[in-house]
Amino acid sequence: MKRLFGAARRPSLLVRYLLIIVSALVVLPVALLMVGTGSVVISGLVSPKERDNPYADTSRLIEEWHREAASLRHADPETIVRSLESWHSRYPRSSVFWVDGGSRLRASLPFNEDLPRVWSSVYTVDFMKEAVNGTKYSVVAFIGKDGEQGFMAMQVPRYLTLPYGQRLGMLGGTAYTAGAIVLLGLFLTVSLLFFNRIRKRLVRLQAAMEQPSGSGLPLPVEVSGADEVGRLEESFNGMIRELEAGRRREAEEESLRRELVARLSHDLRTPLTVVRSHAYSLEREPLSDQGRRSVALIGGKLDYLSQLIENLFSYSLLSAGKYAYRPEKTDIVRLARTQLAAWYPAFEQAGMELEPELPDAPVYWHTDPHWLERVLDNLLQNALRHAASGGWTAVRIVGDGGGRLLIEDKGPGLGGDSPNKGSGLGLSIVQLMLKEMGLRKEVSSGEGGTTVAVRPEQDTV
Amino acid sequence: MAARARILYIEDDAEIGAWLADDLVRRGYEVTWLQSGEKAEEHAGAADVAVLDVMLPGLDGFSVGRRLKKRRPELPILMLSARTAVEDKLHGLGFADDYVTKPFHPDELAARLEVLLRRSGQGGEDAVLIGHLEVRPRELTVTDSRSGTEIALTPKQLQILLYLLRHAGRILTKEQIYEAVWGEPYMEGDKTVMVHIRYLRERIELDPAQPRIVETVRGIGYRVKP
Repeated sequence: MKRLFGAARRPSLLVRYLLIIVSALVVLPVALLMVGTGSVVISGLVSPKERDNPYADTSRLIEEWHREAASLRHADPETIVRSLESWHSRYPRSSVFWVDGGSRLRASLPFNEDLPRVWSSVYTVDFMKEAVNGTKYSVVAFIGKDGEQGFMAMQVPRYLTLPYGQRLGMLGGTAYTAGAIVLLGLFLTVSLLFFNRIRKRLVRLQAAMEQPSGSGLPLPVEVSGADEVGRLEESFNGMIRELEAGRRREAEEESLRRELVARLSHDLRTPLTVVRSHAYSLEREPLSDQGRRSVALIGGKLDYLSQLIENLFSYSLLSAGKYAYRPEKTDIVRLARTQLAAWYPAFEQAGMELEPELPDAPVYWHTDPHWLERVLDNLLQNALRHAASGGWTAVRIVGDGGGRLLIEDKGPGLGGDSPNKGSGLGLSIVQLMLKEMGLRKEVSSGEGGTTVAVRPEQDTV
Repeated sequence: MAARARILYIEDDAEIGAWLADDLVRRGYEVTWLQSGEKAEEHAGAADVAVLDVMLPGLDGFSVGRRLKKRRPELPILMLSARTAVEDKLHGLGFADDYVTKPFHPDELAARLEVLLRRSGQGGEDAVLIGHLEVRPRELTVTDSRSGTEIALTPKQLQILLYLLRHAGRILTKEQIYEAVWGEPYMEGDKTVMVHIRYLRERIELDPAQPRIVETVRGIGYRVKP
């Protein structure tokens, strides 16, 4: 049936629902009527002719039984028994018995052990009462005059005495009821199937919505028809297409923006590199002390300027949310060690001690390692630039409580006077990145130095 | 140096290009400087190392680099760029062997080029002198240069020493060393590298208690100074 509907364009749910209701209201009574008529017609067809039933004509039976009894007047017991036997052979579905004048049961054909050997008057009255309305149709006749030879009784199952039509009528009623139940059941099944199919399709759609693909968007579903659910599925697919197009546009914009930033950065950096290269060339020339100091100053400021440009672009990308963040399970101990390995020579050159205090066991954070590298870079760069006077920087990781990353120095502190005081762009970048990464930064700063602690917000571990 | 190493240098900016090409020539390299990447492949065959600027007109440095790698996978490539533009790209692409951010100090660039050349076995020295040792990476031998006697090392010890030498001047963490030499992911708490370096020092250091060749950077890793 599903295939049948599916092959044709699936009609509207409303139409199909109305079809079921209409069939319930109109078709059901008509069908019930047809079942009734059908059962009568069929019973008429199968019923044999009335005359085939010798038990149906009860008046003839009574008359014949009485005649039989009358003919046995003064007959000896053997004759009576023979007569009963011959009756039984003529009417095999009847049972007969003879109770003599002494209330004694003399014969019973076929033998019925329920009958008492001796008939008390109480039993006789009970028997007569039962004979009128019981399940057996009974005829009783006295043998001879005044019943001195007793009586003989003939019994036929009562339904045999009824006409076929009446008997099948009862059967027809049963068939009618059964037919009605079947039809009602059919109606219930059809409406249940109808509802269940809608439900299944809706559940399928819901499952598709909740199951995002690799891109984070749900996959389109197969449209299962042209009805309301089918249209819903089409709209759902349309929505996904829109979202995908949106994602693509966003990605294109992001890559355009990155490219622009990269080009700008390159364009700014190129003249800087040229100036830098000539400063290096100058260094090789024979210069006066004043000249060498100037060249060194130019070099230092150029490096600072290029860092500023770097940070400016990073900041613009970050604040526009155009910096991809891809968190993963990251061992921060290993990451910190690798970063420290890269930074160590720079600290060495500046005459600063870089003291790592890292645990042996790994400490895992769910974060983007490149972002954390960047944060560490900026913090270390900051320490290198502003805390050189302290001559000491320590990087520590404390494993317990979700892990803490500490960067300590003995510089003049945040409020203090650094010879390289800048815009603080590097730290703003750190701030922005940490917020996005679900990390918290705590700074305690005094004249004795600064401690920066980075730790996860409660729920990011 | 046995023969002058040949550098293929692609840089669109005339001023930087002229200056760096000049600087590299002065440092004893043979330099082919191109201002665009279009003809890079023609010159790639004759180069020992390529230096590419990321931003190039027409083909960008990444495309040129990929093409060069496809043609000559063994050619080391060093990228010159701003960090903003490349950091994640480089992590993702991985074809470049090294990169230097602009502006750079020519000494640093030259040092990185030397490392690349030594690693690829082209140009560079046949033997590296480090302290009292003479290491021949191609022959896999380490000799005491004072007596001329060969120092027997286990394959792992030799591999560790060569790995540190290839990255001379850089501090390498125990994780990096383990993964490079054993080729397996480092397992937490593993002491293998430490133990191997202790035995290595017993063989090569004059005084293993005061190592002068393989330096320990406390809490970070190990370094061989060039």
